[in-house]
Amino acid sequence: MNDEIEQFERRLQAQPVKKIPAGWRTEILTAAMSQASSAGSRVQELPWHSIVVARLSSIFWPHPKAWAGLAAVWVCILLLNFSNHERPHFIAEKTSSAPPPEMVAELKQQRLMFAELIGATEPRVAGRQKNYSPKPQSKRMEIFTV
Amino acid sequence: MPGKPELERLYDEHAQALFAFLLNLTRNEADTRDLLQEIFVKIVRDQKLLSGIREERAFLIRLAHNAAVDLIRRRGTRERVKENLAEIISPFASADDPDEQVFRDELAAALAELPEEQRTVAQLKLWGGLTFEEIAAALEIPPNTAASRYRYALDKMRGRLRPLYEEMKKAE
Repeated sequence: MNDEIEQFERRLQAQPVKKIPAGWRTEILTAAMSQASSAGSRVQELPWHSIVVARLSSIFWPHPKAWAGLAAVWVCILLLNFSNHERPHFIAEKTSSAPPPEMVAELKQQRLMFAELIGATEPRVAGRQKNYSPKPQSKRMEIFTV
Repeated sequence: MPGKPELERLYDEHAQALFAFLLNLTRNEADTRDLLQEIFVKIVRDQKLLSGIREERAFLIRLAHNAAVDLIRRRGTRERVKENLAEIISPFASADDPDEQVFRDELAAALAELPEEQRTVAQLKLWGGLTFEEIAAALEIPPNTAASRYRYALDKMRGRLRPLYEEMKKAE
């Protein structure tokens, strides 16, 4: 079995692969040298902000829609955040201003009516808590006390 | 940036192996040429790319593999469907003997049917002459994974080519 596999492997290895076209050597090497030198000189000539823009565009270019979507989401988050910050100021302004005297008089009247309904002029004080008095813990103590 | 003589040496030593590897992956000569050029441009641009590299062949295969995977991803599903419908471009030289040619065509078809990761390992082992350790280093996978992928690939190709192979053996 192994011998058969080895034979098959040798048979496959004996199949010659296609040769690289001879003309490619000059084309590829010349193109590589010229592209690299032109890129190098371009980088040297460009101002720093152009290099930053070029780098950023190389990052953002593969998925521009995805990046735009992400930016839109961030704008929404920031807008929501700012609108939430404004609300507490508004509430604070409202509460800090003194209520009108009519409202105070109305509230006093309501409080009196409520007190009459309950049957007391003074609001009830919450029931007092019982004082804790420890009791004897053992039977022997009970016998003594009896 | 490496000088022209150094670049020529790299080309003469490795371009044939890279060509066979890339052609097997892309199944397209124009793409293979573009990728090969991309690799050499990268070498020229980044002068530190090859410094301290002991296994040049494995390193260049890794560069080629990454570039080919990027290209295949860029092509997308639509292109892959088109590619499947198109005629298979054989990575093998044409033979004078018609029987041998039939075998090579069948072998090319069998290779094309393999999953990309198995095809890559099979190509590097059979026609790239790399060991499993070198393949593992080139593809950044454990050597055991490389060996198992190779075995799966060989089994599949044997299954597909068996009738033809045995017929040819009998004829010999």
